[in-house]
Amino acid sequence: MKKTYAILALGVAGLLFLATTTRPIQNQYGMVTGTPSIKSINALTFGPDGVLFIGDGKSATVFAVDTKDAAPVDKSAGADIKNIDQKIAALLGTEVANITIQDIAVNPVSKNVYCAVQHSDGTPVLLKIEGDKLSAVSLKDVPFSMLALTNVAAEDAKDRRGESLRVASISDMGYADGKVMVSGLSNQEFGSTFRSIPFPFTNTQNQASLEIYHAAHGKYETMAPIKTFTTTEIKGKKYLLASYTCTPLVLFPLDELKAGSHVKGRTVAEMGSGNSPLDMVIMKKGDESFLMMANSSRPVFKVKYKNLEEYQGSLTTPVVENFATAGVDFVSLPLTNVIQLDKLDDTHMVLLQRRSNGSLDLWTSNERYL
Amino acid sequence: MSGTYKRCWCFLIRLYIGCNLIFFVSCQQSTEDAGIRIRWADKRATGLRIPRQLALAVAADSLNQRMAVRLAGNETSMLGQFQLADNDILFEPLIPLTRGLHYTIWLGNKRLGEVAIPNLNPDDKPTVLGIYPTQDSLPENLLKIYLHFSRPMREGQSPKYVAILKNKNDTLPGVLLDLQPELWNADRTLLTLWLDPGRIKRDLQPNKRLGAPLQTGVPYQIVVSANWPDTQGATLGRSATKSFVTVPRDSLSPDPEQWSINQPKQGSLDPLEVTFGEPLDYSLLTETLHVIDEEGRAIAGKWQPVDEEKRGLFKPVMSWNTGQYRLKIESRLEDLAGNNLNRPFDRDITRKNKSPTPHLFVDMLFRVK
Repeated sequence: MKKTYAILALGVAGLLFLATTTRPIQNQYGMVTGTPSIKSINALTFGPDGVLFIGDGKSATVFAVDTKDAAPVDKSAGADIKNIDQKIAALLGTEVANITIQDIAVNPVSKNVYCAVQHSDGTPVLLKIEGDKLSAVSLKDVPFSMLALTNVAAEDAKDRRGESLRVASISDMGYADGKVMVSGLSNQEFGSTFRSIPFPFTNTQNQASLEIYHAAHGKYETMAPIKTFTTTEIKGKKYLLASYTCTPLVLFPLDELKAGSHVKGRTVAEMGSGNSPLDMVIMKKGDESFLMMANSSRPVFKVKYKNLEEYQGSLTTPVVENFATAGVDFVSLPLTNVIQLDKLDDTHMVLLQRRSNGSLDLWTSNERYL
Repeated sequence: MSGTYKRCWCFLIRLYIGCNLIFFVSCQQSTEDAGIRIRWADKRATGLRIPRQLALAVAADSLNQRMAVRLAGNETSMLGQFQLADNDILFEPLIPLTRGLHYTIWLGNKRLGEVAIPNLNPDDKPTVLGIYPTQDSLPENLLKIYLHFSRPMREGQSPKYVAILKNKNDTLPGVLLDLQPELWNADRTLLTLWLDPGRIKRDLQPNKRLGAPLQTGVPYQIVVSANWPDTQGATLGRSATKSFVTVPRDSLSPDPEQWSINQPKQGSLDPLEVTFGEPLDYSLLTETLHVIDEEGRAIAGKWQPVDEEKRGLFKPVMSWNTGQYRLKIESRLEDLAGNNLNRPFDRDITRKNKSPTPHLFVDMLFRVK
């Protein structure tokens, strides 16, 4: 009898021990299931296995969400929705003037397009586009993890964080080789930061300052904010390919971007001032690769990758004529007013374009543009 | 004859009023009778409460398949969730329902009712609390302007609603940097606007071709349009203007050695008063200054820029103790032209001038007796 009690007591103790030590189960990327408190969606990019990174500038945080949309599709017709802004407005029960499309990202596995929309009151909405169908992506009870973007803090910054006026806006986000890269700008001092964050998230985030030679400016300057970027490989070496307001195209060796480092970039093209780059992707047709870049005041540019690889110079003299261009040659495509651009596969791009008839269309391009 | 005419006329008027009343009542009935109510949170219509008896036959787990809310006159069913809450069916849309619009509620093909979301009270408007810098003479290489609003404003709108006027009538194009996303504080009440740095930096191409954004000795106005909507759709209602005249450029870093500090009395809650001798950046002033005691602990309190940002007041939470203190200044603190403690904003880096080693902080000591 005594023995039975002892076993029972042990069992109860064991159960109690288990109950107090049970933690939420983490998946392979260290995610737990819950509802992320996402306050804004400024940028979207996909990581491995349908993991979607959401850049939330308002809470200065990057969220990783498992969309569970990871069934591989080799060939997809892509997305095609005419007057997408009107369709989104009707789905949300409001008028077109009250919504803004913040970013689009193609899930490289399922080829579905994800679209971040912001309502005029700031409420963010995440939508999924399959062909011509729009649906809401629920962010309730999903596996997620998060990482707060930190600033170099003062001694008492911790006490003040709650009331701090300082905000790091997120201008672009990308994922490559197990790292989420985030470019941002502070609302206080005129400085640009570039962060490289290992995924699955740990407590580390490397922050580097990047220096570029801005040919249109004629001098080194450290402070221009990166508008958009992608990563690439040139002759076996990995690079960050970034574009800035006033459109210089700059290469930074990725292995030099380490915590606290100061990296000097090589400007390979000057694509004209008075313009702001919006998005860029790298496409491939046969053996040839191309960099495609959407712009605020210019058509979509196409740069032959071979030219980028071969261009070993660095622009060191100012471009003489205003709004003129220099460096690597590029072609202006007959694609104007492209607001968002992402890669569907090697030869197809998904574009959000304001057509000449005023309609805002999401459509998928074919090889014709390569 | 005239009597018959009058009677006839009166009858017509009565009939008209009567018809109108019937029409008015029936309009009210369609929502009132249906009993559909709007759920409000923070002045936003965040949901619709539909009485359960309107859809008794529908099982709780098939509400989302059977029921729909649509914009009136539109066939698209809105995205959102139906669920049971108390004795109602609660519909929560992805974004709040828009003021001034009508919505219809459907069970299959049957229209259950219509709801109008009332417009905001026309007097309920946000205001501009301040335009910074406060001073009315500003350096021609002014870098930043801060707009402070009483309520969270709609983002992405500044190119539409902010203008800089020269000589009271010429709107200057391309003076402010068009940044998307815009630089708002977390609650969307303080917006940072940059004057195009490429045009401020001397000898750079945009500067050479387009000229500096502002010239010395010219009267300018920053005008914030009355049409700027806040996050709820209410517009400012009144425009806000700040007039200033430009003075020659400021190319020097702020120099704490030129600052003066008062000596607060021991045991008092007197503010610590730091006089800079020039106006400094409004937003940076509130968080780049720190007071540290002898043991290296930060003193709790709040900074407030005063006197057109030429002085900073630090109000401590606890009264001062006797001893030596340190005013710790983050070097990222800037003046109005973006010159910080380590470097001027616009420097010729091809010139080999001896610049001191950059520091993260600069310290100033003071005593409390």
